Amino acid sequence: MAEPPVVGFLTDATLCIGCKACEVACKQWNQLPGDSAPGVAELTGFSYDNTVDLGATTWRHVAFVERPTPHGIAWLMLSDVCKHCVHAGCLDACPTGAIIRTEFGTVVIQDNVCNGCGYCIPACPFGVPQLEHADGGSHKCTLCYDRLLGGLAPACATACPTGSIRFGEVDELRAAGHERVATLKEQGVAEASFYGGDELGGTGGIAGLNAMFVLNGPPDGFNLPARPRLPRLNIFPASVTTVLAAAGFSIAAAISFRDRG
Amino acid sequence: MTGQQPHGQPASVQDVSQKGYYGVPVIHRPHWKWLVTGYFFLGGISGASAVIAAFGRLCGGSPGASVARVATYVSVVALVPCPPLLILDLGRPGRFLNMLRVFRTSSPMSVGTWGLTAFGLITALSTLLQMADDLAPGAGPLLTRTRRTASSAVALLGAISGFFVAGYTGVLLAATAVPLWSKRPALLGPLFLSSAMTSAAAAITATAILLGPDAEKGTRQLRTLETLATVAEGSLLFGWLMALGPTAKPLSEGRIGMIVRHGIVGAGVALPLIVSAALDHLPRRTRRPATLIASALTLSGGFALRYAVVEGGRLSADDPQATFEMTG
Repeated sequence: MAEPPVVGFLTDATLCIGCKACEVACKQWNQLPGDSAPGVAELTGFSYDNTVDLGATTWRHVAFVERPTPHGIAWLMLSDVCKHCVHAGCLDACPTGAIIRTEFGTVVIQDNVCNGCGYCIPACPFGVPQLEHADGGSHKCTLCYDRLLGGLAPACATACPTGSIRFGEVDELRAAGHERVATLKEQGVAEASFYGGDELGGTGGIAGLNAMFVLNGPPDGFNLPARPRLPRLNIFPASVTTVLAAAGFSIAAAISFRDRG
Repeated sequence: MTGQQPHGQPASVQDVSQKGYYGVPVIHRPHWKWLVTGYFFLGGISGASAVIAAFGRLCGGSPGASVARVATYVSVVALVPCPPLLILDLGRPGRFLNMLRVFRTSSPMSVGTWGLTAFGLITALSTLLQMADDLAPGAGPLLTRTRRTASSAVALLGAISGFFVAGYTGVLLAATAVPLWSKRPALLGPLFLSSAMTSAAAAITATAILLGPDAEKGTRQLRTLETLATVAEGSLLFGWLMALGPTAKPLSEGRIGMIVRHGIVGAGVALPLIVSAALDHLPRRTRRPATLIASALTLSGGFALRYAVVEGGRLSADDPQATFEMTG
Protein backbone atom coordinates (compact mmCIF):
# COMPACT_ATOMS: atom_id res chain seq x y z
CA MET A 1 0.00 0.00 0.00
CA ALA A 2 1.38 3.40 -0.96
CA GLU A 3 2.15 5.90 1.81
CA PRO A 4 -0.62 8.45 2.12
CA PRO A 5 0.49 12.02 1.39
CA VAL A 6 1.55 14.35 4.23
CA VAL A 7 -1.47 16.43 5.24
CA GLY A 8 -2.00 19.52 7.33
CA PHE A 9 -3.92 22.75 7.78
CA LEU A 10 -3.75 26.19 6.27
CA THR A 11 -5.52 28.58 8.64
CA ASP A 12 -6.14 32.02 7.18
CA ALA A 13 -6.64 34.90 9.63
CA THR A 14 -8.00 37.12 6.86
CA LEU A 15 -10.96 34.79 6.34
CA CYS A 16 -11.75 34.05 9.98
CA ILE A 17 -14.97 35.58 11.33
CA GLY A 18 -14.47 34.38 14.91
CA CYS A 19 -17.53 32.10 14.98
CA LYS A 20 -15.66 29.41 16.99
CA ALA A 21 -17.40 26.63 15.03
CA CYS A 22 -13.97 24.96 14.83
CA GLU A 23 -13.64 24.96 18.62
CA VAL A 24 -17.09 23.43 19.03
CA ALA A 25 -16.70 20.88 16.23
CA CYS A 26 -13.35 19.81 17.68
CA LYS A 27 -14.78 19.36 21.15
CA GLN A 28 -17.80 17.45 19.85
CA TRP A 29 -15.87 15.04 17.62
CA ASN A 30 -13.08 14.44 20.13
CA GLN A 31 -15.50 14.35 23.10
CA LEU A 32 -13.64 17.05 25.00
CA PRO A 33 -15.23 18.80 27.98
CA GLY A 34 -16.21 22.47 27.87
CA ASP A 35 -13.81 25.17 28.93
CA SER A 36 -15.54 26.10 32.15
CA ALA A 37 -17.61 24.29 34.74
CA PRO A 38 -21.29 23.85 33.75
CA GLY A 39 -23.31 26.96 34.48
CA VAL A 40 -20.24 29.06 35.22
CA ALA A 41 -19.49 31.77 32.72
CA GLU A 42 -15.84 32.78 32.66
CA LEU A 43 -15.62 36.09 30.87
CA THR A 44 -12.05 37.19 30.41
CA GLY A 45 -12.53 40.64 28.92
CA PHE A 46 -10.05 39.70 26.20
CA SER A 47 -12.31 40.87 23.38
CA TYR A 48 -14.57 37.91 22.49
CA ASP A 49 -11.98 35.35 23.59
CA ASN A 50 -13.13 33.36 26.61
CA THR A 51 -11.09 30.32 25.62
CA VAL A 52 -7.70 32.07 26.15
CA ASP A 53 -5.27 29.35 25.10
CA LEU A 54 -4.78 25.91 23.63
CA GLY A 55 -4.77 23.22 26.29
CA ALA A 56 -5.32 19.59 27.18
CA THR A 57 -9.04 19.78 26.31
CA THR A 58 -8.95 22.71 23.87
CA TRP A 59 -7.30 21.81 20.58
CA ARG A 60 -8.59 24.77 18.53
CA HIS A 61 -8.50 28.26 20.01
CA VAL A 62 -9.84 31.34 18.24
CA ALA A 63 -7.79 34.41 19.14
CA PHE A 64 -9.42 37.87 18.97
CA VAL A 65 -6.89 40.64 18.47
CA GLU A 66 -7.95 44.29 18.75
CA ARG A 67 -5.21 46.61 17.55
CA PRO A 68 -5.41 50.36 17.31
CA THR A 69 -4.47 51.58 13.82
CA PRO A 70 -4.58 55.07 12.23
CA HIS A 71 -7.97 54.08 10.76
CA GLY A 72 -9.49 52.86 14.03
CA ILE A 73 -9.44 49.51 15.73
CA ALA A 74 -8.33 46.55 13.63
CA TRP A 75 -10.21 43.43 14.73
CA LEU A 76 -8.28 40.29 13.82
CA MET A 77 -9.23 36.69 14.44
CA LEU A 78 -7.27 33.49 14.05
CA SER A 79 -7.99 29.88 14.90
CA ASP A 80 -4.81 28.55 16.52
CA VAL A 81 -3.99 24.85 16.55
CA CYS A 82 -1.11 22.37 16.99
CA LYS A 83 1.47 23.10 14.29
CA HIS A 84 2.31 19.43 13.55
CA CYS A 85 5.93 20.56 13.11
CA VAL A 86 8.16 18.86 10.53
CA HIS A 87 10.68 18.44 13.39
CA ALA A 88 8.56 18.44 16.52
CA GLY A 89 9.93 19.39 19.94
CA CYS A 90 7.31 17.30 21.76
CA LEU A 91 8.12 14.20 19.72
CA ASP A 92 11.87 14.66 20.29
CA ALA A 93 11.35 14.98 24.04
CA CYS A 94 8.87 12.13 24.62
CA PRO A 95 10.74 9.39 26.57
CA THR A 96 8.07 6.71 26.21
CA GLY A 97 7.50 6.73 22.48
CA ALA A 98 3.92 7.82 23.13
CA ILE A 99 4.30 10.71 20.66
CA ILE A 100 4.63 9.45 17.11
CA ARG A 101 4.75 10.68 13.53
CA THR A 102 1.77 9.07 11.84
CA GLU A 103 1.51 7.77 8.28
CA PHE A 104 -0.16 11.11 7.45
CA GLY A 105 2.90 13.06 8.63
CA THR A 106 0.98 14.37 11.64
CA VAL A 107 2.17 14.31 15.27
CA VAL A 108 -0.05 12.32 17.63
CA ILE A 109 0.13 11.47 21.35
CA GLN A 110 -0.88 7.82 21.89
CA ASP A 111 -2.99 8.13 25.01
CA ASN A 112 -2.58 4.45 25.90
CA VAL A 113 1.23 4.86 26.09
CA CYS A 114 1.70 8.36 27.61
CA ASN A 115 2.71 8.17 31.29
CA GLY A 116 2.32 11.87 32.01
CA CYS A 117 6.01 12.73 32.52
CA GLY A 118 5.24 16.24 31.26
CA TYR A 119 8.47 16.74 29.29
CA CYS A 120 6.64 17.44 26.01
CA ILE A 121 4.93 20.45 27.59
CA PRO A 122 7.97 22.76 28.00
CA ALA A 123 9.56 21.15 24.93
CA CYS A 124 6.93 22.66 22.62
CA PRO A 125 8.00 26.14 21.42
CA PHE A 126 4.34 27.00 20.68
CA GLY A 127 2.73 26.01 23.99
CA VAL A 128 0.47 23.33 22.55
CA PRO A 129 0.39 20.10 24.61
CA GLN A 130 -0.74 20.23 28.22
CA LEU A 131 -1.22 17.77 31.06
CA GLU A 132 -4.80 17.03 32.05
CA HIS A 133 -5.32 16.74 35.79
CA ALA A 134 -8.33 14.47 35.35
CA ASP A 135 -6.44 11.62 33.66
CA GLY A 136 -2.77 12.55 34.19
CA GLY A 137 -1.90 12.39 30.49
CA SER A 138 -0.68 14.94 27.97
CA HIS A 139 -3.08 15.90 25.20
CA LYS A 140 -3.23 17.92 22.02
CA CYS A 141 -4.74 18.05 18.53
CA THR A 142 -4.49 14.72 16.67
CA LEU A 143 -5.42 16.33 13.35
CA CYS A 144 -8.43 13.99 13.73
CA TYR A 145 -6.34 10.87 13.16
CA ASP A 146 -9.45 8.71 13.40
CA ARG A 147 -11.26 10.75 10.73
CA LEU A 148 -8.21 10.63 8.44
CA LEU A 149 -8.23 6.83 8.71
CA GLY A 150 -11.85 6.90 7.56
CA GLY A 151 -11.08 9.21 4.65
CA LEU A 152 -12.70 12.26 6.28
CA ALA A 153 -11.33 15.76 6.75
CA PRO A 154 -10.70 16.95 10.35
CA ALA A 155 -13.79 18.18 12.22
CA CYS A 156 -12.63 21.82 12.48
CA ALA A 157 -11.92 22.17 8.75
CA THR A 158 -15.26 20.55 7.95
CA ALA A 159 -17.15 22.92 10.24
CA CYS A 160 -15.40 26.15 9.17
CA PRO A 161 -18.01 28.16 7.24
CA THR A 162 -15.64 30.61 5.53
CA GLY A 163 -12.82 28.41 4.29
CA SER A 164 -10.47 29.99 6.82
CA ILE A 165 -9.39 26.48 7.86
CA ARG A 166 -8.28 24.48 4.86
CA PHE A 167 -7.26 20.85 5.10
CA GLY A 168 -5.15 19.13 2.46
CA GLU A 169 -1.74 18.02 1.30
CA VAL A 170 0.93 20.25 2.80
CA ASP A 171 2.68 20.99 -0.51
CA GLU A 172 -0.55 22.33 -2.00
CA LEU A 173 -1.45 24.23 1.15
CA ARG A 174 2.00 25.84 1.32
CA ALA A 175 1.70 27.01 -2.30
CA ALA A 176 -1.83 28.26 -1.65
CA GLY A 177 -0.67 30.12 1.46
CA HIS A 178 2.13 31.92 -0.36
CA GLU A 179 -0.23 32.74 -3.22
CA ARG A 180 -2.79 34.13 -0.78
CA VAL A 181 -0.15 36.32 0.89
CA ALA A 182 0.90 37.67 -2.53
CA THR A 183 -2.73 38.46 -3.39
CA LEU A 184 -3.28 40.20 -0.04
CA LYS A 185 -0.15 42.31 -0.50
CA GLU A 186 -1.37 43.30 -3.97
CA GLN A 187 -4.62 44.36 -2.35
CA GLY A 188 -2.70 46.57 0.06
CA VAL A 189 -2.55 44.37 3.18
CA ALA A 190 1.09 45.23 3.87
CA GLU A 191 1.32 43.10 7.02
CA ALA A 192 0.15 39.89 5.36
CA SER A 193 2.62 37.07 6.03
CA PHE A 194 2.98 33.32 5.68
CA TYR A 195 3.66 31.64 9.05
CA GLY A 196 5.11 28.13 8.92
CA GLY A 197 8.05 28.41 6.53
CA ASP A 198 11.77 29.17 6.75
CA GLU A 199 11.26 32.84 7.63
CA LEU A 200 8.45 32.73 10.16
CA GLY A 201 7.31 29.93 12.44
CA GLY A 202 9.19 27.03 10.87
CA THR A 203 12.62 28.33 11.88
CA GLY A 204 15.45 27.15 14.13
CA GLY A 205 15.60 23.51 13.06
CA ILE A 206 11.81 23.03 13.09
CA ALA A 207 12.02 22.89 9.27
CA GLY A 208 8.48 24.08 8.62
CA LEU A 209 4.99 23.56 10.01
CA ASN A 210 2.44 21.14 8.59
CA ALA A 211 -0.27 23.34 10.11
CA MET A 212 0.54 26.76 8.66
CA PHE A 213 -1.09 30.16 8.83
CA VAL A 214 -1.78 33.28 6.80
CA LEU A 215 -1.51 36.24 9.16
CA ASN A 216 -2.51 39.87 8.75
CA GLY A 217 -0.55 41.27 11.65
CA PRO A 218 2.71 40.56 13.51
CA PRO A 219 2.87 36.91 14.70
CA ASP A 220 3.38 37.88 18.35
CA GLY A 221 -0.01 39.63 18.29
CA PHE A 222 -1.54 36.15 17.89
CA ASN A 223 0.87 34.80 20.55
CA LEU A 224 2.90 33.04 17.86
CA PRO A 225 6.72 33.26 18.25
CA ALA A 226 8.25 34.73 15.08
CA ARG A 227 11.41 32.64 15.09
CA PRO A 228 11.02 29.62 17.39
CA ARG A 229 13.85 27.17 17.89
CA LEU A 230 13.85 23.39 18.14
CA PRO A 231 14.81 22.61 21.79
CA ARG A 232 16.68 19.45 20.77
CA LEU A 233 19.42 21.59 19.22
CA ASN A 234 20.51 22.57 22.74
CA ILE A 235 21.43 18.99 23.64
CA PHE A 236 24.75 19.08 21.80
CA PRO A 237 26.26 22.28 23.30
CA ALA A 238 24.90 21.42 26.76
CA SER A 239 26.38 17.90 26.60
CA VAL A 240 29.78 19.06 25.36
CA THR A 241 30.23 21.53 28.21
CA THR A 242 28.92 19.06 30.78
CA VAL A 243 31.47 16.47 29.62
CA LEU A 244 34.20 19.15 29.77
CA ALA A 245 33.11 20.03 33.30
CA ALA A 246 33.27 16.33 34.21
CA ALA A 247 36.83 16.20 32.83
CA GLY A 248 37.71 19.26 34.91
CA PHE A 249 36.32 17.66 38.07
CA SER A 250 38.20 14.44 37.31
CA ILE A 251 41.46 16.41 37.31
CA ALA A 252 40.42 18.29 40.46
CA ALA A 253 39.51 15.03 42.22
CA ALA A 254 42.74 13.33 41.14
CA ILE A 255 44.83 16.27 42.39
CA SER A 256 42.92 16.46 45.68
CA PHE A 257 43.33 12.74 46.44
CA ARG A 258 47.01 12.62 45.32
CA ASP A 259 47.92 14.87 48.21
CA ARG A 260 48.19 12.39 51.08
CA GLY A 261 50.21 14.51 53.46
CA MET B 1 -8.79 25.56 28.50
CA THR B 2 -8.94 24.19 32.02
CA GLY B 3 -6.95 24.61 35.17
CA GLN B 4 -5.24 27.83 34.19
CA GLN B 5 -6.31 31.39 34.79
CA PRO B 6 -5.60 34.10 32.25
CA HIS B 7 -2.54 36.10 33.12
CA GLY B 8 -3.10 39.48 31.53
CA GLN B 9 -5.21 42.42 32.56
CA PRO B 10 -8.70 42.54 31.10
CA ALA B 11 -8.74 45.15 28.36
CA SER B 12 -10.98 45.76 25.38
CA VAL B 13 -8.04 46.97 23.32
CA GLN B 14 -4.59 45.46 23.66
CA ASP B 15 -1.61 47.32 25.02
CA VAL B 16 0.46 47.55 21.85
CA SER B 17 3.58 48.78 23.65
CA GLN B 18 3.97 45.15 24.81
CA LYS B 19 4.33 42.25 22.42
CA GLY B 20 1.94 39.37 22.72
CA TYR B 21 -1.66 38.48 23.33
CA TYR B 22 -3.26 39.92 26.52
CA GLY B 23 -0.21 38.75 28.51
CA VAL B 24 -1.09 35.07 27.96
CA PRO B 25 2.08 32.90 28.10
CA VAL B 26 3.36 31.76 24.69
CA ILE B 27 4.58 28.41 25.99
CA HIS B 28 3.12 26.11 28.63
CA ARG B 29 5.00 25.83 31.90
CA PRO B 30 6.25 22.46 33.14
CA HIS B 31 4.38 20.91 36.07
CA TRP B 32 7.63 19.94 37.87
CA LYS B 33 7.90 21.11 41.48
CA TRP B 34 9.07 19.58 44.76
CA LEU B 35 9.39 15.97 43.64
CA VAL B 36 11.63 16.88 40.71
CA THR B 37 13.58 19.40 42.80
CA GLY B 38 14.17 16.66 45.37
CA TYR B 39 15.28 14.25 42.66
CA PHE B 40 17.68 16.77 41.11
CA PHE B 41 19.21 17.33 44.56
CA LEU B 42 19.47 13.70 45.70
CA GLY B 43 20.35 12.32 42.28
CA GLY B 44 23.13 14.90 42.05
CA ILE B 45 24.48 13.89 45.46
CA SER B 46 24.29 10.21 44.59
CA GLY B 47 26.01 10.58 41.21
CA ALA B 48 28.76 12.89 42.49
CA SER B 49 29.32 10.66 45.54
CA ALA B 50 29.99 7.75 43.19
CA VAL B 51 32.51 9.96 41.38
CA ILE B 52 34.22 10.86 44.66
CA ALA B 53 34.19 7.21 45.75
CA ALA B 54 35.85 6.22 42.48
CA PHE B 55 38.66 8.78 42.67
CA GLY B 56 39.21 8.03 46.35
CA ARG B 57 39.51 4.33 45.59
CA LEU B 58 41.58 4.63 42.40
CA CYS B 59 44.07 7.32 43.34
CA GLY B 60 43.68 8.14 47.02
CA GLY B 61 45.65 5.44 48.81
CA SER B 62 44.45 4.58 52.31
CA PRO B 63 42.83 7.98 53.13
CA GLY B 64 41.12 7.80 49.74
CA ALA B 65 39.79 4.31 50.46
CA SER B 66 38.31 5.63 53.71
CA VAL B 67 36.53 8.43 51.82
CA ALA B 68 35.43 5.94 49.16
CA ARG B 69 33.83 3.75 51.81
CA VAL B 70 31.70 6.59 53.23
CA ALA B 71 30.98 7.97 49.73
CA THR B 72 29.71 4.59 48.53
CA TYR B 73 27.17 4.44 51.36
CA VAL B 74 26.15 8.10 50.91
CA SER B 75 25.65 7.43 47.20
CA VAL B 76 23.32 4.48 47.71
CA VAL B 77 21.35 6.18 50.51
CA ALA B 78 20.83 9.27 48.32
CA LEU B 79 19.84 7.10 45.36
CA VAL B 80 17.13 5.02 47.05
CA PRO B 81 14.49 7.83 47.22
CA CYS B 82 15.12 8.87 43.59
CA PRO B 83 12.96 6.34 41.70
CA PRO B 84 9.92 6.90 43.99
CA LEU B 85 10.28 10.69 43.60
CA LEU B 86 10.37 10.37 39.80
CA ILE B 87 7.52 7.87 39.65
CA LEU B 88 5.27 9.94 41.93
CA ASP B 89 5.84 12.97 39.71
CA LEU B 90 4.31 11.19 36.70
CA GLY B 91 0.72 11.99 35.80
CA ARG B 92 0.21 8.25 35.45
CA PRO B 93 2.67 6.64 37.93
CA GLY B 94 1.50 3.10 37.13
CA ARG B 95 3.04 3.45 33.69
CA PHE B 96 6.57 4.32 34.80
CA LEU B 97 7.97 1.28 33.01
CA ASN B 98 6.94 2.85 29.68
CA MET B 99 10.10 4.93 30.14
CA LEU B 100 12.04 1.79 29.18
CA ARG B 101 9.95 1.10 26.04
CA VAL B 102 12.24 3.10 23.75
CA PHE B 103 15.68 4.70 23.66
CA ARG B 104 15.60 8.15 22.06
CA THR B 105 18.81 10.16 21.76
CA SER B 106 16.68 13.24 20.99
CA SER B 107 15.22 13.05 24.51
CA PRO B 108 17.52 13.74 27.48
CA MET B 109 14.81 12.23 29.67
CA SER B 110 14.94 8.96 27.73
CA VAL B 111 18.75 8.82 27.77
CA GLY B 112 18.64 9.90 31.42
CA THR B 113 16.26 7.10 32.41
CA TRP B 114 18.56 4.49 30.88
CA GLY B 115 21.61 6.16 32.42
CA LEU B 116 19.94 6.24 35.84
CA THR B 117 18.99 2.56 35.49
CA ALA B 118 22.59 1.64 34.65
CA PHE B 119 23.85 3.81 37.51
CA GLY B 120 21.45 2.04 39.88
CA LEU B 121 22.84 -1.38 38.93
CA ILE B 122 26.44 -0.17 39.27
CA THR B 123 25.65 1.43 42.65
CA ALA B 124 24.12 -1.84 43.86
CA LEU B 125 27.32 -3.67 42.85
CA SER B 126 29.67 -1.17 44.49
CA THR B 127 27.57 -1.24 47.66
CA LEU B 128 27.73 -5.03 47.79
CA LEU B 129 31.51 -4.98 47.29
CA GLN B 130 31.90 -2.35 50.03
CA MET B 131 29.71 -4.36 52.40
CA ALA B 132 31.76 -7.47 51.70
CA ASP B 133 34.91 -5.51 52.58
CA ASP B 134 33.36 -4.18 55.79
CA LEU B 135 31.71 -7.40 57.00
CA ALA B 136 34.36 -9.93 55.98
CA PRO B 137 37.65 -8.10 55.62
CA GLY B 138 39.92 -11.02 56.51
CA ALA B 139 39.55 -13.12 53.37
CA GLY B 140 42.38 -15.04 51.70
CA PRO B 141 44.89 -13.28 49.41
CA LEU B 142 43.27 -14.56 46.18
CA LEU B 143 39.82 -13.38 47.21
CA THR B 144 41.21 -10.04 48.39
CA ARG B 145 42.92 -9.48 45.04
CA THR B 146 39.76 -10.43 43.13
CA ARG B 147 37.72 -8.07 45.27
CA ARG B 148 40.18 -5.25 44.75
CA THR B 149 40.14 -5.68 40.97
CA ALA B 150 36.33 -5.84 40.98
CA SER B 151 36.13 -2.75 43.19
CA SER B 152 38.40 -0.78 40.85
CA ALA B 153 36.42 -1.80 37.77
CA VAL B 154 33.09 -0.99 39.42
CA ALA B 155 34.53 2.31 40.72
CA LEU B 156 35.46 3.34 37.19
CA LEU B 157 31.96 2.51 35.90
CA GLY B 158 30.55 4.35 38.91
CA ALA B 159 32.55 7.48 38.05
CA ILE B 160 31.31 7.53 34.44
CA SER B 161 27.66 6.83 35.25
CA GLY B 162 27.86 9.06 38.34
CA PHE B 163 29.05 12.02 36.27
CA PHE B 164 26.20 11.30 33.87
CA VAL B 165 23.51 11.21 36.57
CA ALA B 166 24.87 14.38 38.22
CA GLY B 167 25.00 16.35 34.97
CA TYR B 168 22.30 15.18 32.57
CA THR B 169 19.52 17.00 34.42
CA GLY B 170 21.04 20.32 33.34
CA VAL B 171 21.02 19.14 29.73
CA LEU B 172 17.41 18.00 30.15
CA LEU B 173 16.27 21.45 31.25
CA ALA B 174 18.34 23.16 28.54
CA ALA B 175 16.53 21.12 25.85
CA THR B 176 13.18 22.89 26.34
CA ALA B 177 11.58 26.11 25.13
CA VAL B 178 11.71 27.66 28.63
CA PRO B 179 13.74 30.89 28.23
CA LEU B 180 15.57 30.66 31.57
CA TRP B 181 16.73 27.10 30.88
CA SER B 182 17.34 27.23 27.14
CA LYS B 183 18.86 30.64 26.48
CA ARG B 184 22.40 29.67 27.57
CA PRO B 185 22.35 25.88 27.24
CA ALA B 186 26.11 25.47 27.69
CA LEU B 187 26.20 26.58 31.33
CA LEU B 188 23.36 24.72 33.05
CA GLY B 189 24.93 21.23 32.89
CA PRO B 190 28.29 22.34 34.36
CA LEU B 191 26.44 24.36 37.03
CA PHE B 192 24.37 21.35 38.08
CA LEU B 193 27.47 19.15 38.02
CA SER B 194 29.51 21.47 40.25
CA SER B 195 26.59 21.90 42.65
CA ALA B 196 26.30 18.11 42.82
CA MET B 197 30.03 17.84 43.59
CA THR B 198 29.86 20.38 46.45
CA SER B 199 26.71 18.81 47.91
CA ALA B 200 28.17 15.31 47.69
CA ALA B 201 31.47 16.38 49.28
CA ALA B 202 29.55 18.08 52.09
CA ALA B 203 27.30 15.07 52.63
CA ILE B 204 30.29 12.70 52.72
CA THR B 205 32.26 14.94 55.10
CA ALA B 206 29.30 15.32 57.46
CA THR B 207 28.61 11.58 57.40
CA ALA B 208 32.29 10.81 58.10
CA ILE B 209 32.33 13.17 61.11
CA LEU B 210 29.13 11.68 62.47
CA LEU B 211 30.50 8.14 62.05
CA GLY B 212 33.51 8.97 64.22
CA PRO B 213 37.29 9.50 63.99
CA ASP B 214 37.96 6.25 62.06
CA ALA B 215 35.84 7.39 59.14
CA GLU B 216 37.33 10.86 59.04
CA LYS B 217 40.54 9.81 57.33
CA GLY B 218 40.77 11.54 53.96
CA THR B 219 38.27 14.30 54.70
CA ARG B 220 41.14 16.81 54.41
CA GLN B 221 41.70 15.76 50.78
CA LEU B 222 37.96 15.93 50.25
CA ARG B 223 37.95 19.47 51.61
CA THR B 224 40.33 20.54 48.82
CA LEU B 225 37.95 19.07 46.24
CA GLU B 226 34.92 20.68 47.90
CA THR B 227 36.60 24.09 47.87
CA LEU B 228 37.46 23.76 44.17
CA ALA B 229 33.89 22.68 43.38
CA THR B 230 32.38 25.50 45.44
CA VAL B 231 34.49 28.09 43.62
CA ALA B 232 33.43 26.51 40.30
CA GLU B 233 29.77 26.57 41.35
CA GLY B 234 29.90 30.22 42.39
CA SER B 235 31.71 31.25 39.20
CA LEU B 236 29.36 29.27 36.93
CA LEU B 237 26.30 30.71 38.67
CA PHE B 238 27.65 34.24 38.28
CA GLY B 239 28.58 33.62 34.64
CA TRP B 240 25.20 32.05 33.88
CA LEU B 241 23.22 34.91 35.43
CA MET B 242 25.35 37.48 33.56
CA ALA B 243 24.96 35.62 30.26
CA LEU B 244 21.18 35.36 30.70
CA GLY B 245 20.79 39.13 30.97
CA PRO B 246 17.12 40.14 31.29
CA THR B 247 16.06 36.47 31.05
CA ALA B 248 17.50 35.97 34.57
CA LYS B 249 14.69 38.16 35.97
CA PRO B 250 12.86 35.30 37.78
CA LEU B 251 16.11 34.57 39.68
CA SER B 252 16.76 38.14 40.75
CA GLU B 253 13.29 39.24 41.84
CA GLY B 254 11.00 38.45 44.76
CA ARG B 255 11.12 35.27 46.81
CA ILE B 256 13.27 33.31 44.33
CA GLY B 257 15.69 36.26 44.15
CA MET B 258 16.07 36.10 47.93
CA ILE B 259 16.66 32.35 47.78
CA VAL B 260 19.35 32.90 45.13
CA ARG B 261 21.12 35.64 47.10
CA HIS B 262 20.91 34.18 50.61
CA GLY B 263 20.38 30.47 49.97
CA ILE B 264 22.70 29.75 47.05
CA VAL B 265 25.30 32.54 47.16
CA GLY B 266 25.32 33.18 50.91
CA ALA B 267 24.70 29.78 52.51
CA GLY B 268 25.84 27.56 49.65
CA VAL B 269 28.97 29.32 48.40
CA ALA B 270 30.26 32.22 50.55
CA LEU B 271 29.85 30.89 54.11
CA PRO B 272 31.27 27.39 53.43
CA LEU B 273 34.30 28.97 51.74
CA ILE B 274 34.84 31.27 54.73
CA VAL B 275 34.52 28.37 57.20
CA SER B 276 36.87 26.26 55.09
CA ALA B 277 39.49 29.03 54.96
CA ALA B 278 39.23 29.66 58.71
CA LEU B 279 39.09 26.01 59.76
CA ASP B 280 42.80 25.48 60.41
CA HIS B 281 42.91 28.59 62.62
CA LEU B 282 39.99 27.50 64.77
CA PRO B 283 40.50 25.80 68.16
CA ARG B 284 40.75 22.04 67.60
CA ARG B 285 37.56 21.11 69.44
CA THR B 286 35.42 23.53 67.41
CA ARG B 287 36.59 22.20 64.03
CA ARG B 288 34.15 19.29 63.87
CA PRO B 289 31.01 21.31 64.70
CA ALA B 290 32.20 24.09 62.35
CA THR B 291 32.66 21.58 59.52
CA LEU B 292 29.24 20.08 60.23
CA ILE B 293 27.64 23.52 60.05
CA ALA B 294 29.49 24.33 56.82
CA SER B 295 28.31 21.01 55.34
CA ALA B 296 24.72 21.74 56.30
CA LEU B 297 25.00 25.19 54.70
CA THR B 298 26.47 23.72 51.52
CA LEU B 299 23.67 21.15 51.32
CA SER B 300 20.97 23.77 51.84
CA GLY B 301 22.63 25.87 49.11
CA GLY B 302 22.61 22.88 46.77
CA PHE B 303 18.91 22.32 47.39
CA ALA B 304 18.20 26.05 47.00
CA LEU B 305 19.95 26.01 43.59
CA ARG B 306 17.78 23.17 42.27
CA TYR B 307 14.64 24.76 43.69
CA ALA B 308 15.42 28.21 42.27
CA VAL B 309 16.21 26.81 38.81
CA VAL B 310 13.05 24.64 38.68
CA GLU B 311 10.72 27.31 40.10
CA GLY B 312 12.41 30.10 38.13
CA GLY B 313 11.82 28.07 34.96
CA ARG B 314 8.09 27.97 35.68
CA LEU B 315 8.01 31.75 36.15
CA SER B 316 10.10 32.22 33.00
CA ALA B 317 7.70 30.07 30.97
CA ASP B 318 4.78 32.18 32.21
CA ASP B 319 6.41 35.40 30.97
CA PRO B 320 5.55 35.93 27.29
CA GLN B 321 8.04 38.80 27.03
CA ALA B 322 10.89 36.43 27.96
CA THR B 323 9.84 34.12 25.11
CA PHE B 324 9.48 36.97 22.61
CA GLU B 325 12.87 38.30 23.64
CA MET B 326 14.38 35.00 22.45
CA THR B 327 12.19 34.32 19.42
CA GLY B 328 11.95 37.81 17.96
